[in-house]
Amino acid sequence: MKVIRIDKNDWAEGIEKIRKTYSLIGPVKEKFYHIFANLGSGQMPDMEFTNSRISPKYIIYPQSEIILKCSMNAEEEDYKIYREPEDKEYKEKAVLGIRPCDADSLPVVMRNFDTDEYKDPYWLRAFETTTLVGLACDAPCPSCFCTSAGSGPYNHKNLDVMLIDNKDHYLAEIITEKGEKLAEAAGWQDKAEGIADEIAKRKSDAESKIESNVHTDNLAKQPLLDLYEATSIWEKAAFACINCGTCTYVCPTCWCFDIQDEVYGREGFRIRNWDSCMYPLFTLHASAHNPRGTKLARLRQRFMHKLKYYVDKYENGIQCTGCGRCVRLCPVNIDIRRICNMMNSYDPETCTCEATVS
Amino acid sequence: MKNLLEHMGIEPERLHFSWISSAESTKFVDVATKVTEAAKSLENKEKKFVKTKPKVA
Amino acid sequence: MKSYTDNIKEISKRLLKEDKVDMVIGYRTGSVPLMHQPFFAQNQEEVDEFVWDSNCGLNLANYITDRTERIGILATGCNSRNIAVHIVEGKIKREQLYIIGIPCKGMVDRHKLSAMADGDITSVEDENNGSITITGQNFSKTVDKAEVLQENCSVCVHRNPVIYDELAAEEVTEQKRDDVDPYARVKEIEALSPEEKWAHFDDLLSDCIRCYACRNACPLCYCPLCFVDESNPQWVGKSIDHTDVRTFHFLRAYHCAGRCTDCGACVRSCPVGINVRDFTKKLEKDCLELFDWEAGLNTEQRPPLDTYRPDDPEEFIK
Repeated sequence: MKVIRIDKNDWAEGIEKIRKTYSLIGPVKEKFYHIFANLGSGQMPDMEFTNSRISPKYIIYPQSEIILKCSMNAEEEDYKIYREPEDKEYKEKAVLGIRPCDADSLPVVMRNFDTDEYKDPYWLRAFETTTLVGLACDAPCPSCFCTSAGSGPYNHKNLDVMLIDNKDHYLAEIITEKGEKLAEAAGWQDKAEGIADEIAKRKSDAESKIESNVHTDNLAKQPLLDLYEATSIWEKAAFACINCGTCTYVCPTCWCFDIQDEVYGREGFRIRNWDSCMYPLFTLHASAHNPRGTKLARLRQRFMHKLKYYVDKYENGIQCTGCGRCVRLCPVNIDIRRICNMMNSYDPETCTCEATVS
Repeated sequence: MKNLLEHMGIEPERLHFSWISSAESTKFVDVATKVTEAAKSLENKEKKFVKTKPKVA
Repeated sequence: MKSYTDNIKEISKRLLKEDKVDMVIGYRTGSVPLMHQPFFAQNQEEVDEFVWDSNCGLNLANYITDRTERIGILATGCNSRNIAVHIVEGKIKREQLYIIGIPCKGMVDRHKLSAMADGDITSVEDENNGSITITGQNFSKTVDKAEVLQENCSVCVHRNPVIYDELAAEEVTEQKRDDVDPYARVKEIEALSPEEKWAHFDDLLSDCIRCYACRNACPLCYCPLCFVDESNPQWVGKSIDHTDVRTFHFLRAYHCAGRCTDCGACVRSCPVGINVRDFTKKLEKDCLELFDWEAGLNTEQRPPLDTYRPDDPEEFIK
């Protein structure tokens, strides 16, 4: 793999160059926390951030997105015939400073949006036109647990370029062709030789700073129905849960959505909005029956989906990358690490489990 | 309700309460005319609480 | 002097042992700083998990809605007022409850503290002398608790529970409305022009992700089907359109008029730090001025917007 050196003095100039071909998105401090936002002309990403409060999944999968449009004018030929909007733009864009955990959520979400049967054109087009310039993580939060969730502070598997902050310069690993193209456009060509050992050391240093972890080794072996019926796991957690959608909306791997039609004058729009399995409306049937009518059932669904159904269906780890956002932002402190460890250690014979957060 | 709407930035002229009996047609016309004029005379013509196209992102 | 936590544990154990209640609702230590978890204990071991300090800022009245058990519940001033509102509105019976009153010294603002820290907070020490120490990887900071109180706590005039069966500590001195102006912030907004007000609320709500944490953390929001979830007819759009977001916040607040006790659970639970109280505090002020009413001070009177009195103010009708 090619590694180049980007002097921080050349950083701004490179950014200006790629602005011509890419629309840029990067971390910006708004009010009192960071978000990923479009960078206006001359605006630089704030690379000193820890991570954005809300996951950057909305760059590829917006919270609300028009997917179809139609005419509501009865005199027109295509009255009420939904078509893809013509003005949907998929300009090349580059995300600067995305963290490895958030990039690692993309293949997880992709398993839902890109299957043999169905391909989601909106998600895929947005994904294909996005170049990810990641930033390796040297100061993870105390609630991060990426290393035990299939990710890691220096995990470059799902990035196009990974930057490593090295005082007066960045070391940039060029991982994919997309990344190569971007580095070329920016004019960053200064090859860095003989630094493989140093990067490896930085990587292991960063990994050793991840203080908490989850145990997942036993999840696939656990009998599904036993977990489902494990009151000792669900009862106390469900009591505290207020069934808001915070965990699902800040999560980089939650992909569920709801379709809504809205009419404005003589135009109709079909809009896709994020939805949350925490809401009763999520599963409410037209008959008024609700298969997940209780708070406990909804809370259980979220964790069973991430830590059991997904594990069993895709055989590719858990549906979580350990970014820790839900841990930090849940208003009632329902901690996925704790629940995961309870599920992993659950003993169907005695109906007991260990509730640890480490 | 009126207070909270005003608190949020709806001009007081835009919301009006009156008792009008079904027999008081002239009063109704009178009030409706006054309210419409008051709203029209506002400097700020920006429509509030009106959706004109979906805002998405 | 025994600590709040010790007293709470002692009372809870006694209640469970004497079979006076089926469960006691309190808090247990959270897995992350500034965030304790609402928790119910049904036996002595579970009671040992109880904790009480300045990080118990949610409203436990939210957890008793329509329950049928006999419940012991911790209640600060605002929590007890919400319990009273629940009793008036028929969401729980007074006989079912054993209220452990907590004279409250206020809760700390997690958003404020996080913003003050130079990095991530790993532990929070709540000293009894009125100071808070936050510690992280490379820093440690001690601040005056009064400076980092939640805004609603700093202007609170009902710190002692209004209904209780037993107190877990001695009553605290109440602040007077003459000394702290609970409505200072409301007055600031009231002084703005309509355009400025509109812009203020636009900015306030610009980060809203419609997760409904504010609504769900609120003990008043117990409707089986909220108006924003109603789909036949559909009142409010579900996208992040500003008009829809504002409609949600405005109408939710209005549904709380005369019932809100300014417990601050909505603000505390918001993941993006929106001061939802900019809506509700105005209504509280109006209720006080127009109806001489404060929510939840007794278990008999229904809130003013629920009742009709011939002398109700009607200056707004022209």
